[in-house]
Amino acid sequence: MNEGVSTEAGTVAHEDPGVHVRDHTEDKGAHALEEPSAAAFRHARTLPVDEDWYKRAVFYEVLVRAFADSNRDGFGDLRGLIDKLDYLAWLGVDCLWLPPFYDSPLRDGGYDIRDFRKVLGEFGTVEDFVELLDQAHARGIRVITDLVMNHTSDQHHWFQESRRDPEGPYGDFYVWSDDDTRWSEARIIFVDTEASNWTYDSRRGQFYWHRFFSHQPDLNFDNPAVCEAMLDTLRFWLDLGIDGFRLDAVPYLFERDGTNGENLPETHAFLKRVRKVVDDEYPGRVLLAEANQWPSDVVEYFGDAEIGGDECHMAFHFPLMPRIFMAVRRESRFPISEILAQTPAIPSNAQWGIFLRNHDELTLEMVTDDERDYMYAEYAKDPRMKANIGIRRRLAPLLDNDRNQLELFTALLLSLPGSPVLYYGDEIGMGDNIWLGDRDGVRSPMQWTPDRNAGFSRCDPGRLNLPVIMDPVYGYQAVNVEAQSNSTASLLHWNRRMIDIRKQHPAFALGSFHELGGTNPSVLAYLREYTDAEGTRDVVLCVNNMSRFPQPVELDLIAWKGMVPTELTGGVPFPPIGELSYLLTLPGHGFYWFAIHPAEER
Amino acid sequence: MSALTPDGSPDPLAGLHDALIAWLPTQRWFPAKGRQVAGVRTASHSVISRPGETPTVEHAVITVSFADGAAEERYQLVLGSQRQPPGDLEHAVIGRRPTDHGDDVVYDGLADGRISRLFLALITENATREPLRFVAEPDTEPVIVGPGRPLQGEQSNSSVIYGERAILKLFRRATTGLNPDLELHRALRREGSAEVAPLLGAVEGSMDGEPMTVAMLQEYAANSADGWSMALASVRDLLAEADLRADEVGGDFAGEAHRIGKTVGAVHRELAAALGTRPLDAEVATEIEAWMLERLDRAASAVEGVAEQRDAIAAVFHGVSDAGPTTIQRIHGDLHLGQELRTPTGWLVIDFEGEPSKSLADRVRPDSPLRDVAAMLRSFDYAAFHQLSEREQATDDPDPQLERRAQEWADRNRSAFCDGYAEVAGTDPRDTPELLRAYELDKAVYEVLYETRNRPGWVSIPLRSMRRLLTPAGRSER
Repeated sequence: MNEGVSTEAGTVAHEDPGVHVRDHTEDKGAHALEEPSAAAFRHARTLPVDEDWYKRAVFYEVLVRAFADSNRDGFGDLRGLIDKLDYLAWLGVDCLWLPPFYDSPLRDGGYDIRDFRKVLGEFGTVEDFVELLDQAHARGIRVITDLVMNHTSDQHHWFQESRRDPEGPYGDFYVWSDDDTRWSEARIIFVDTEASNWTYDSRRGQFYWHRFFSHQPDLNFDNPAVCEAMLDTLRFWLDLGIDGFRLDAVPYLFERDGTNGENLPETHAFLKRVRKVVDDEYPGRVLLAEANQWPSDVVEYFGDAEIGGDECHMAFHFPLMPRIFMAVRRESRFPISEILAQTPAIPSNAQWGIFLRNHDELTLEMVTDDERDYMYAEYAKDPRMKANIGIRRRLAPLLDNDRNQLELFTALLLSLPGSPVLYYGDEIGMGDNIWLGDRDGVRSPMQWTPDRNAGFSRCDPGRLNLPVIMDPVYGYQAVNVEAQSNSTASLLHWNRRMIDIRKQHPAFALGSFHELGGTNPSVLAYLREYTDAEGTRDVVLCVNNMSRFPQPVELDLIAWKGMVPTELTGGVPFPPIGELSYLLTLPGHGFYWFAIHPAEER
Repeated sequence: MSALTPDGSPDPLAGLHDALIAWLPTQRWFPAKGRQVAGVRTASHSVISRPGETPTVEHAVITVSFADGAAEERYQLVLGSQRQPPGDLEHAVIGRRPTDHGDDVVYDGLADGRISRLFLALITENATREPLRFVAEPDTEPVIVGPGRPLQGEQSNSSVIYGERAILKLFRRATTGLNPDLELHRALRREGSAEVAPLLGAVEGSMDGEPMTVAMLQEYAANSADGWSMALASVRDLLAEADLRADEVGGDFAGEAHRIGKTVGAVHRELAAALGTRPLDAEVATEIEAWMLERLDRAASAVEGVAEQRDAIAAVFHGVSDAGPTTIQRIHGDLHLGQELRTPTGWLVIDFEGEPSKSLADRVRPDSPLRDVAAMLRSFDYAAFHQLSEREQATDDPDPQLERRAQEWADRNRSAFCDGYAEVAGTDPRDTPELLRAYELDKAVYEVLYETRNRPGWVSIPLRSMRRLLTPAGRSER
């Protein structure tokens, strides 16, 4: 791919840069699209290849639209984000995750892509994106973005061509059928809006298949031309310097009779192809699977464990998140213990991505019906807070803005196995607006200052894409980066300190996980342990009180007899571990992180 | 104090009697705390270690007599001895014993990792050290042999944990006959029960010419907490809320109570499959009623509140005879929330020894599974009112609102337990309300007597239940 294309910024390829068409479409002749090549753009500087950076990284999900507006049009944009990179570097973020910024009619938050090689106008241009990559890399920050492989917008040229000309080069790019009865075993994901996975297109006179919204037709991965087109889409952005992709909705790429159309072997075979392209042509870049499935199914997306994994490098651990909420409400560690005990081992080169909140609702697909009712009752007292099968709240309002719980939840996020993914604004405890439609309630403008539009934009307030939060508790005058930067007691400083501590101890990122149990069901205690190539051992003990009441716990630390636990936020040595079980007392919703050292190292 | 064993040979622990008299009352497992031990003598004794091995390891059963003239009791000891044991065994030292070469230090053997390692090795090898036989259960995966460490905080027995893999329990109270804990775990293992920690092996011996169970080895549920502490956490959460109902608070326990019900139902089904059932006919009913009445009269003679209600209670006990067609079988016999362990994958039932105060013959007698169900229902009541009763002891000022809410917690969880039980056992305990009520009242009467004697501050809990069970509303669970 791209032989003859220099990676020097700004050079132009030898071959015609504008045309990028595959052989099999050529013989069909007319209407093949001309798509831009990466060679037509400057390339960002790259960071040195680091094979396991994603295992150590703290991720930060930033919605470009909601983060910072550089041109006063009321929408956040890539230039605005570039201006805030110093803040993100200060916070300790290692990798930005940008939800899709491609050209889109925006009927599904940009997950409905109209053109894979164009940036949404309001965000900027491909050149702006390259500048973002370059500036982020200059600060040691990597950038990944979503790529939706399963479907496109119904406005994508491919689909329009497919409707118009069934015999043309794109005639077979989507999944068409004369009737709408096939694959009835496949569940309907957006039950609130869709009645079927088939929708009739009057132009072509056939039904098309869609696992998500009817305006998002599924691509036909049984067509080799679709696979090639998708691989070339990846190469386009990788050539520009992007550090990886979160592959959206991966379980649904293929359809087969008698199956539910999820996790099919054909899907895995295609992902292995994608991984090979990355490994061979772009070492050090990562693939993150978005597969909202049980961990035992998700591990399949890491690929062959024998060779360390040959599909995605990372996958989100979906069921852990609702269980954290449930454990704290139930004042019992078992919802967490249970899900971790059911989480299989993953290949040596794989890592979980874990999160408390993201741009979607708090997903409750991965809990039982009973548990879902319970979560609704506990965290969505107002029915407007429910959306699809989930809860649309931000972290702080979910926790009644209780600082102790915010700290406990974040401590869990930063210490449980997996790379933590923070959601923009949660580091300052932003609120949500449940009166906005769909999932916009958790996508309001980032609150930078107590000034107009929360410092997000200098536009006329009426022009804002979404209103800023203005209620007395979470409003931007009370909650903003500027104020919290000026107070070292703020949640923002606390988050920064904890991220920093996490980075000082490789055990948090790379260590094994061992739950310690203990007779107090309200206390979750575990050890993370890592020995590096030089034989240096790092052992971290984490103890978390799920209860709102103070709790004692006696831990079996006999294996560490004679060693000294040192508390990590203050460096205070605790009494050495002796013959008996180790007694700790925790305040309500309290937690401790300790490093365990031999006594003489103190 | 005799220095001779029953067969006339010199008592091998003779030099240690005084030390044991001082040491026994300091042990957690020794139930007769506060009573003066008058003397000890050796009922059986054997050396487990080979000559020349260090430390010397002995197994002994000692007979303990009391200064108040109460009946003698027998206890098992595992002793280690060595000229100079490692310093970290100091806390386990019992005393010194003179030998030909000078004094040996004798200590509680299970505290010594070398000795717990030896026990595990002997079980793995199916070794015999007369009269002790170490047996691994057939088809079990051997546990990697290593030192164990004593489990802390135990009440009536002493256990050692090997890594996070296995637990060896030494039965402290020595009785002849097969211990029902071992017997039932063996039976449940044959049934492939997922509701108990699988049995891995045992140490069996003999005493007075009869077989006896010395110890048993099971898989260890490392990450677990007991149902009692979890239920208390839930009640604590409820009572801290101003006016939320039991089904509205975050700490609702009904889901767990339902799962516990399913677990107990499964254990009953498995015990029936393994060891059979028989009809609860008129003869059996008369027998059960007779035990209940005997216990009632004992309580009535000691507690006025029971005496006043004696005839009304006896009338309820008659429900056993009117139960209609039902069966009896082997049961747990001493079930309560503390005998249920929550692990990351579900609940386990532990400790099948039966009610400790009963004779072995009574403990292995088949009974209605509703005895266990009733015991669980009583345990939910205890959990609900535990915190309130501590509050009342402190303030002497009952709060009717809190009492109503505690009762609501009990009702909700008792009913969730029965739902879960019925799902698995195939019979709903609430379908035979008179039989269930008889068992529950029997248990409550026993509790009233127990609390009056041991924890007077708590007697209000079973008394309240006793009164409720005697009113028409108490007849059926909802």
